[in-house]
Amino acid sequence: MTVPVESPGRPVPPAPGGQGPPGPRWDAAPGVIRPRHDTEGMVRWGTRLAALLPGAALVGLTVALLIEALPAIQGNGFGFFTRTTWDPGNFYNPPVVVNGVTRPDGASYGAFPLIVGTLASSAIAMAIAVPVAFGTAMIVVHKLPRRLSNTFGMLLEMLAGIPSVVFGLWAALTLGPFLAHHVSPFISRSLPDVPVLRYFKGPVGSGEGLLTSGLVLAVMVVPIIASTTRDLLRQVPRGTQEGAVALGMTDLEVVRTVSIPWVRTGVIGACVLGLGRALGETMAVAMASGTVLGTVPRNVYSTFGSMAGVIVSQLDSALTDATGFAVETLAYLGLVLLAMSLLANIGARLLVRRASTTALPVGRGI
Amino acid sequence: MATLPAGTALPTASPHPERAFGAGTTVRRRRWSRRRMANAVYWGACAAALAGVAVPVVWVLAGVVNSGLRDWHWSVLTTQTVGTGGGLLNAIAGTLVIVVGVAVIVGIVGIAGGIYLAEFCPEGRGGLLRGGSEILSGAPSIVLGYVGYVTLVVRFHWGFSLAAALVVLSVMVVPYVVKATEVSLRSVPTAYRDGSEALGMPSGYALRRVVLRPALPGIVTGLIVAMAIAVGETAPLLYTAGWSNNLPTTHLFHAPIAYLTYPVWTFYNQPYASAHRLAAVAALLLVVLALLMIVVGRIIVAVTQRQSETSSAPH
Amino acid sequence: MHTDEVRTPQPSGPTRVSRRLRPVAFGALALTGAVALAACSSSTTAATTTTTKPAAPAVPKIIAPPSSTVALTETGSTLLYPLFNFWAPAYSKLYPNISITTAGTGSGTGISQAAAGAVNIGASDAYLSSSQVAANPGLLNIPLAISAQMINYNLPGLSGTLKLSPSVIAQMYTGKITTWNNAAVAAINPGLTLPSTPVIPLHRSDGSGDTFIFSQYMAKGDPSVWGANNFGTSIAFPAISTAVGANGNGGMVSECAKTVGCIAYIGISFKAQTQSANLSEAMIENGTGNYLLPTNATIDAESTSFANATPPNGAISMVYSTTAAQGYPIINYEYGIINSKQSSSTTARAIQAFVSWAISPTGGNANSFLSQVGFRPLPAAVVAQSQAQLQTISAS
Repeated sequence: MTVPVESPGRPVPPAPGGQGPPGPRWDAAPGVIRPRHDTEGMVRWGTRLAALLPGAALVGLTVALLIEALPAIQGNGFGFFTRTTWDPGNFYNPPVVVNGVTRPDGASYGAFPLIVGTLASSAIAMAIAVPVAFGTAMIVVHKLPRRLSNTFGMLLEMLAGIPSVVFGLWAALTLGPFLAHHVSPFISRSLPDVPVLRYFKGPVGSGEGLLTSGLVLAVMVVPIIASTTRDLLRQVPRGTQEGAVALGMTDLEVVRTVSIPWVRTGVIGACVLGLGRALGETMAVAMASGTVLGTVPRNVYSTFGSMAGVIVSQLDSALTDATGFAVETLAYLGLVLLAMSLLANIGARLLVRRASTTALPVGRGI
Repeated sequence: MATLPAGTALPTASPHPERAFGAGTTVRRRRWSRRRMANAVYWGACAAALAGVAVPVVWVLAGVVNSGLRDWHWSVLTTQTVGTGGGLLNAIAGTLVIVVGVAVIVGIVGIAGGIYLAEFCPEGRGGLLRGGSEILSGAPSIVLGYVGYVTLVVRFHWGFSLAAALVVLSVMVVPYVVKATEVSLRSVPTAYRDGSEALGMPSGYALRRVVLRPALPGIVTGLIVAMAIAVGETAPLLYTAGWSNNLPTTHLFHAPIAYLTYPVWTFYNQPYASAHRLAAVAALLLVVLALLMIVVGRIIVAVTQRQSETSSAPH
Repeated sequence: MHTDEVRTPQPSGPTRVSRRLRPVAFGALALTGAVALAACSSSTTAATTTTTKPAAPAVPKIIAPPSSTVALTETGSTLLYPLFNFWAPAYSKLYPNISITTAGTGSGTGISQAAAGAVNIGASDAYLSSSQVAANPGLLNIPLAISAQMINYNLPGLSGTLKLSPSVIAQMYTGKITTWNNAAVAAINPGLTLPSTPVIPLHRSDGSGDTFIFSQYMAKGDPSVWGANNFGTSIAFPAISTAVGANGNGGMVSECAKTVGCIAYIGISFKAQTQSANLSEAMIENGTGNYLLPTNATIDAESTSFANATPPNGAISMVYSTTAAQGYPIINYEYGIINSKQSSSTTARAIQAFVSWAISPTGGNANSFLSQVGFRPLPAAVVAQSQAQLQTISAS
């Protein structure tokens, strides 16, 4: 395509005919490029509006949740975090007013078991996922030939792309029974009765519980950490690595002295991001946890309820509460969950305060 | 450059370092073999970690394919759901409609947002907008579904509807497209922009014709990622799209729509064989769709890379 | 991002709660009022049918549906769900222009989504509470059929049928009885050798009408252990370490099948599934001290003692009659929770048509349908009352 070459070097008034592409504004001060079309301003404003929308949606989401939850915050107070019972009360009795908020007779909500369950399953997931993802990324970057590492990349994408309900299905129908019949009895029997390990002893149930949920969450969190670690490891300067090898270090020592300091911040950021994902995961945990209300999990095999799982399974029944208190309490729970996930997310990104936008993946790590 | 005194033994990475060190190296030999053993243990652990990632993937995929293909009838793809049996035609059609809708909305909003962040935004202020978008991606899906139900379905009286589903899903996946667009645009060399400015192109024209074109593969990949996530979501759709046995209609409001993740969540623990079959087949279709999108994304990247390589040949 | 649509102004005055739960008409259509008038004026029996004596059984009039295509949505009780899955295709075969999408999500969901206007028909085993009625004026609970609930258990080695009383069941669910060979259980089961398997009580984790009638049975049968007021669609089951929550009747069956020693309350429409899962059914004690299984005869015996007492709006609990000697104690009306104000007159008409077919002994209440799920037909007086409630459905 040809463009008329026309650079007079100083602004000139437009030729009377007005043909050809418009030049700079003839009355503009030299050196200042002003928008030449009205449409350019429109483009700028349009895209600015679009860029504001995600942030506005986030704010709107939080505000809507807050508005919905305010009566529950007032009614439940901060005892919400320490009480253990989840009692919707009797909808068939006349409602009562407690703490200035109307609620069904006998309603009392406590989120302590849910918070414990969520944190415990996420902790198990991170304890498994972080070393596994790190080790995998190491071996992919350093040992595998290029072709295989591409296949591995696709494997990671596959892992990140499988919907969480499918993972939940696998956990409930395959992994859970497998663990309950073949793995957990063995572990429960053979571990010594030491205080720390007592969490691994107990009745193994039918497969739904903390261990199964932790494992399936680990599988879902690994792609985020592994893909970020792999990308970061590829950026470690080769010169420094080769120098370390030249000094006679084994691979492990090279990793410890060169790679880890280089990628440490990024990997920690990715781990915190993964933690945020594990905290907020809904369907897989709802299917793998047994969704139990009111009991704090005692050992690693007991069923529990996670905050997200409880919201998804109790929302419908909460809507039958004509005073609205149950739904507002779920909004309160959702607010706590949102705060946890956002904190993890913000923390991760503050940790990796780089200008480069390739530092951390968004969301799932695909 | 200073030289080492003559006779200094330089450490080497030779396989028999004890010979290089000479006599009296028992301690060093032990330390070296301890280091080697640590190294071997380390790589063993890494290999185990690799297996720990590969095994679940293969296990899940094999399980999904196996249970999905057991008692396979092609009628599952051509009949609609009736109660807990029938087929999945309504769910497949509904998922496709939802995905296309999300792609359109998110394509417009996300790409425009990414363009702003990459091209027009002054350096400092972009951080807040970008951060808001990235943090939005960390919001749990059930919270989005809850807010969507309480505001869109009930308070705005949209009912279970395609519109509510599209709004909630778009809010959920727009950060991916924004980020992908911004990253792709930033990877286009500034020389392109400077050149088009020097040639006198208006910036909108330059954006469209010069800058966006090489960024397109990354943008399309981001769109595909967004669509893949939209396909796999359940919690938001449960409370905004509802469920319907019928094929999708043109009504945007007050008409629930089917989607593939519903049968998996709802039918997996029903004591009916037909329900289990629907759940298994729906899981299989979801995995196939995810795989398809990954493959399409990779093809696009490979094709455009090859194109840009051939087109960058001097002419 | 989305197209503009008409936003109807919110009514002033009502609380935030009722605004949210009351279905307001969205874009009321200006169809001919003749259809609505015709529907409203074609009432057979007046709404003043008294509850004192059963009127002469009027021929239930089945209303014809509109001729345009209508897609109705139903959700709610998993106890009613299998029957709805027989009704919906049969009705669509009669009138191909009417399609009904069914879902089994629990009675709580049925009530809340019908109240919110998100579905046309909510199915529920529980009637509406007074606060729900106050928050949603115009929400009806229309009896559709009579159903019952089983108490199932999973003890593969046990030969013979177990007898259970409300006291024993309440003690199991409060954790006071922890093994099956407990003295209290053995006392009412002389002649059975009970295993020492731990008792694992199963309950519904979703808002459930089955929970409603089950908890009413324990509340009425043994208020000292369970609590006379401890009933509802969502209650706090005592926290026992072995207790498990399941989703829907289907989930109860699946969960109990894989948990040896479980006790579960499952709707009678899932009897075939419990049998193929090798779960056993217990004979449970009624208000007169007899131990019974749910059969046509025992369900009828219980329901006839309540038929005269059923109020015009249908809300009555038929659990634990103290007069019917051979009556099975856990039975209930299956309710269709329907808003009397619908968005359009075609929808209103279609709902009236379908429900009138469903409650008619020549339609959905015929033995060919009900026998497949173990339900019983509505008594004639109650059919008339349901017809009367149907007449109040119209377009707003």
